[in-house]
Amino acid sequence: MAISEKLYKNMQKEIVTLALSINEVVGKFKQLSNPLSESQERVPKATEQLDKISEQTEVATHQMLDKVEKITQREDEVSQGLKKIKDNTISGDFSNIVPTIDTLLEKVNLNSEDAYVIMDALQFQDITSQQMNHAASLLEDIEDRLHSIIGVIQGSQETEDAVPASASPRKERAYDPNADYTDKKASQSDIDSLFSSGK
Amino acid sequence: MADLKILAVDDSPTMRRIIINTLKRAGYPDVIEASDGKDAIAKLKVENINFVITDWNMPEMDGLTFVNTIRGMAEYKSLPVLMVTTRSVKDDIVEALKAGVNNYIVKPFTPDTLKEKIQQVLNG
Repeated sequence: MAISEKLYKNMQKEIVTLALSINEVVGKFKQLSNPLSESQERVPKATEQLDKISEQTEVATHQMLDKVEKITQREDEVSQGLKKIKDNTISGDFSNIVPTIDTLLEKVNLNSEDAYVIMDALQFQDITSQQMNHAASLLEDIEDRLHSIIGVIQGSQETEDAVPASASPRKERAYDPNADYTDKKASQSDIDSLFSSGK
Repeated sequence: MADLKILAVDDSPTMRRIIINTLKRAGYPDVIEASDGKDAIAKLKVENINFVITDWNMPEMDGLTFVNTIRGMAEYKSLPVLMVTTRSVKDDIVEALKAGVNNYIVKPFTPDTLKEKIQQVLNG
């Protein structure tokens, strides 16, 4: 059965339309793949940062708790020592008063030093705050990518320049993506040699 | 030592408190605070500062831009600057050196390191 010329032309027109539609869909998928793959990279990074925060907060908290336990133990000893001095003074026994006071002074000094160690350990707050800012920034980026994807699906041609659909205004984030709460002695000595060679 | 007026620049109020307390314990009680580079420049203009301790990552104006800016101002060309930051990548340190930072400490730091670096900077 021969196909009439009119039917042939109609079919050709339909095929061209179909091909154009397929091209458009392929184009949209290409537009989607970039933000999707970029989002895929950012999620593990954000998770990694959040895990780091959890681990390093725990390390710092344990350091502080160790010191707090020692301080409270020494405080009890100081309290007992003072009570002993008081009892001996009432009973007129001054024989061991000077060594007892020396021991108490030593404990008070150790407590002061430990209080400063706790203060040093509190530097973790600045470091984890930078790690959180990095994680938040990665999540905000993912939000932007998802917004781009929605834009493409809805027919907008904008992908890279899509306006972020953030519910609240974003704050300016200043952070070091490599901020880490670890012993920096090795790094510091490397820096020192770099500085002395650079002067 | 006691007449040294130090400007502590850090966007983290916690870090500023830690630095101020460490400095007081080390014998430097006169410390002024600033929360970023812009704030620091404003403080430099009204206070008689003779030593600066600055962070790197800060909003508004970061520490490196701050150092570059003050090194371009005749009155602060030789003002001692110690950078205290989490950044420990070699390229960053080289950049800080080029900007005119006199010494560099990586966070978290110990009070002994801070004291030692201040002395090193003061001794030239």
